[in-house]
Amino acid sequence: MALPSATLAPDAAATAALVALDDVSMVFRTNKGLFRSGQVTAVGDVSLHIARGETLALVGESGSGKTTVGRISIRLLEPTGGRVWFDGQDISHMPEERLGWLRKRAAIVFQDPFSSLNPYMTVSELIAEPLVIAGVRRRAEREERVRAALTAVDLTPAARFMHAYPTAMSGGQRQRVGIARALIREPEFIVADEPVSMVDASSRVEILNVLRGLQRERGVAFLYITHDIASARHFADRIAVMHLGAIVESGTARQVIDHPIHPYTRALIAAVPEPDPANRFRRRAAERWQDEPGAAIHLECPHGGSPTAETFLLQVPGEAGHLVACHVAAPLAR
Amino acid sequence: MTPLLAVDNLHLWYDAGGGRVVRAVDNVSFALEKKGEAIGIVGESGSGKSSLALALMRMPPKNVARFDGSVRLAGQELTTLSDDQFRREIRWRRIAMVFQGAMSALNPVLRVGEQIAEPLLLDHRYDKPAAGARVRDLLERVGLPADFASRYPHELSGGQRQRVGIATALALDPDVLILDEPTSALDVSVQAQILNLLKDLKDAPGISMLFITHDIGLASDLCDRIAVAYAGEHMELGPAERVLVTPHHPYSQLLLASLPRLHSDVPPRPMPGDPPDLSALPKGCRFRPRCPYAFDACREHPPAIPLPDAGHARCWLNDRNVAGARFETHLPTEARLD
Repeated sequence: MALPSATLAPDAAATAALVALDDVSMVFRTNKGLFRSGQVTAVGDVSLHIARGETLALVGESGSGKTTVGRISIRLLEPTGGRVWFDGQDISHMPEERLGWLRKRAAIVFQDPFSSLNPYMTVSELIAEPLVIAGVRRRAEREERVRAALTAVDLTPAARFMHAYPTAMSGGQRQRVGIARALIREPEFIVADEPVSMVDASSRVEILNVLRGLQRERGVAFLYITHDIASARHFADRIAVMHLGAIVESGTARQVIDHPIHPYTRALIAAVPEPDPANRFRRRAAERWQDEPGAAIHLECPHGGSPTAETFLLQVPGEAGHLVACHVAAPLAR
Repeated sequence: MTPLLAVDNLHLWYDAGGGRVVRAVDNVSFALEKKGEAIGIVGESGSGKSSLALALMRMPPKNVARFDGSVRLAGQELTTLSDDQFRREIRWRRIAMVFQGAMSALNPVLRVGEQIAEPLLLDHRYDKPAAGARVRDLLERVGLPADFASRYPHELSGGQRQRVGIATALALDPDVLILDEPTSALDVSVQAQILNLLKDLKDAPGISMLFITHDIGLASDLCDRIAVAYAGEHMELGPAERVLVTPHHPYSQLLLASLPRLHSDVPPRPMPGDPPDLSALPKGCRFRPRCPYAFDACREHPPAIPLPDAGHARCWLNDRNVAGARFETHLPTEARLD
């Protein structure tokens, strides 16, 4: 495949955005044996954009492709189709040795605070590591920046945590170390991939508040990847729902959660067990979900459509920014 | 009426080495009153909720420091039974358990059918053909096709494996089913399917359940009553609806306030402080260091103060004599926290 020329003009939203994905797809080759190989389309024709200082939540179940999109957005993966733009530069196929600038300006927080931190390194060493790699030689400067990062994630007093090992910390505290590490080079964009799914319920808000604070005070933009649509309501400016490698609906929380249109979004919302007396003992309309090993879960289209049919997002009439990939319901909404 | 399962003053403590003792289950009492009733045990990691399951199944780990209390099943005291009697008459036969982790609880080299049939055959209760028929019956009851009996666990999705786990637990028609985080590794849509199945089993044949989870929403969806576990104790017990709307323990209130709500813009509030070190618990009330309402009385360890709905709350604010004027003001109509 020929490398696409970087001079092709992106559309207006993409140039204004800090991060923009334009019809991005990702096809993984699978080896099923010596002579057999297959293909899995993890992501098909996904477009999204994130403005400076904005948080976009990417909501979906396992196998929906949300993590793949997150990794493509900071070029931890090279897409097999489409374009990825960062601050106006086409990074879709930029070779790794030319991506040094991006590694400073974009960072990632991983899901698992138990396995993503080296247990033999102190908190201070863990957080300073990206600085060492970036060539910050002065120890005093590194320490000063580690202290500031610890303060930014509310691990205070910083001195108490700097020489601690992650094994002596709670899940919530470890995840804050992960965030401090992502923060240390002062990125403009952070991919937070399920940052609280392995943290106890009562510690989640605190971590999400730290992320929200970084967004508001430092103007950091976030791609918040989560399976928890309720948390997306409170910690994101916009929500995009992914299903089978495609975005099926996007908009504000009010649009997507309070007035969902796509059958998948509706089913996903109905399946959430809210702690609400009015919501108890209800049979959740989940019977139509297909649940096969290895296959992504999918819902039969109530309008008789095919799940493999090409989908593109339609603008919901009269609702700026509310996009839906349902060709039956979207034109009729409201 | 004799309750189906009555647990009184149950203790399961661990020896954590170096003279430290972890009070994983500490003076826990509750009862499943009747057939088809479900109690949700809600707690975060380290609250002792899984240890409670191990205590009831009499499968404690090796480093036990204290294991006592009373467990009565339809009036019969179980704690005085020998291990052998308990194994033959109670475990799996009358009290069965579904384990956390749909992925790892099944033996990867056994076909699903063999797996489910294991307790049937061990017991000499069924011969092989009868066990086969029973397996097909059980698979259908948990919503799987009968021919799944010849599949291996790796050929199943997470939700299907958890259904097999439930079928295995149901094999000997237990009265009580203990479920330890049965949906924690599953997607929300698959979780909803499993919950639908559990709701069916609760209605008919009327299996009673102890549903252990960190998710109070999930517990309230299935359970009639909820116990809120913290640091080895049940801080609060009551009808699910009452606990959700007017929690009587500050920990329950703060836990509910910390959850992001799907249909409300009220921002979730972080829980103050850190969970306690279970081998060095605070003196007095175990929640005191994190509690915004703490007052002098909280230096004294609070008993389980009975509530009018037959539940309890381990908080002095519920004792009119001790709390004085606070008694009137602390109880929320909504969660009144400001």
